[in-house]
Amino acid sequence: MKPTVEEIGTLLALKRHERPEEGYFDEFLREFHQRRRAEEASKKGVAGWWKQTSEWFSNLGASKWAYGGGLAYATIAAVWLLAPKDSDFQQAPAPTNVGHEVKAPAPVVEQLDALDLRPSTQGSTGEQEF
Amino acid sequence: MPDESLQPDPDEDLVARARSGDTRAFDALILKYGEKLYGLVYNMTSHKEDTHDLLQEIFAKAYQSLPRFRGQSSFYTWIYQIAVNMTLNFLKKRKRRGGMSLNELDSSVQQDPALIDSSHMANPEKQSKLHELQKRLNEAMLSLSEAHRTVVTMFDIQGIPHAEIARILKTSEGTVRSRLHYAHLHLQSKLQDYWE
Repeated sequence: MKPTVEEIGTLLALKRHERPEEGYFDEFLREFHQRRRAEEASKKGVAGWWKQTSEWFSNLGASKWAYGGGLAYATIAAVWLLAPKDSDFQQAPAPTNVGHEVKAPAPVVEQLDALDLRPSTQGSTGEQEF
Repeated sequence: MPDESLQPDPDEDLVARARSGDTRAFDALILKYGEKLYGLVYNMTSHKEDTHDLLQEIFAKAYQSLPRFRGQSSFYTWIYQIAVNMTLNFLKKRKRRGGMSLNELDSSVQQDPALIDSSHMANPEKQSKLHELQKRLNEAMLSLSEAHRTVVTMFDIQGIPHAEIARILKTSEGTVRSRLHYAHLHLQSKLQDYWE
C-alpha cells in the first residue's frame, strides 16, 4: 500500500525535531571564533602582527614611554648578559698533552739503491753512450 | 508572493553591528539561525560530522561576505542561499569521491524522542517497525536528486513556504511545486513496501 502525500508529509515533519544536543552551539561559537582568529592571523602574518603591535603601542597613551624605556633597558640587559666576554676566553681550559706519541707517517721516498742506474749497454740506434 | 524588499529586515540592526566588527552581534545571528541551518544541512547530508564542518564553513563564509551584503534580500534569505549552495557543492564533491555507504548514515534519527513515544516504547514490535520506516525514509531521501531533496527538506521538514523557497533557490514557485510533486511521488513508491 502506498502512503498518501499527507502521510509522507507527516512522517517528514517529524524530522523537524532532529536537533543537535544541548550546549552544541556554545561549543560551536567557541570553535567558530577560534577558526576565525587562526584564519585572520595566517592572512595577516608578520605584517599584521607588527601593525597590531604598533596599534596597541600607540593606544597606550603616556604609559607607552614607560613601556618603551622598560623594553630598551631589557634589550640592553639581554645583550650585556648574552654577549661573550674576555674572561670566557681566559677561563677556557689549556690544551693538554695526549698520552702517546703521534708519529707522522714516513714519506714515501724512492730508494736509490733499488734503482738501476747503470748505463744501458743495449742502447738503441742513435743513443749516446757515456 | 509578498515583496520582501518592502518589509524591513528584522535582523537589520544585528547585521549592521556585525558588519562594523561587533562579533557578539554575529554570535546572535548564529544562535538565531544555527538550529534551522543545522536541520537543513543535516537532512541534506545525513551525517553529523559533515553537518558540523559545513555549518562552520557556512557561517565563516557569511562572516567574510558580510561587507558585500547589500540588504537586497533579508539576512535570513541570504544566509540560507549560502547554506544551500555550499551544501550542494559539498554533496557534488562527496559524490565524486564515491558517495557514502548507508552504513555511514547517522542512526541518530532513530533515537529521536519525537519518534519514540511511550506507547511505542511499550510495544517493541511497533517501535521496531517505526525504526525501519525511518531508516527507509532516510534512504529514500538520499535516493532523491540534490535539487529534489533540497525542496523536500525546506518544505516538508523545515516548513518553509513555497515563495520563500523560490527566493532562496532563485527559481520560480512553479519549479518548487513541480520538484515537490515529483519528490513526493518518488518517496511514495520507495516507501510503499513498508507502509501498512
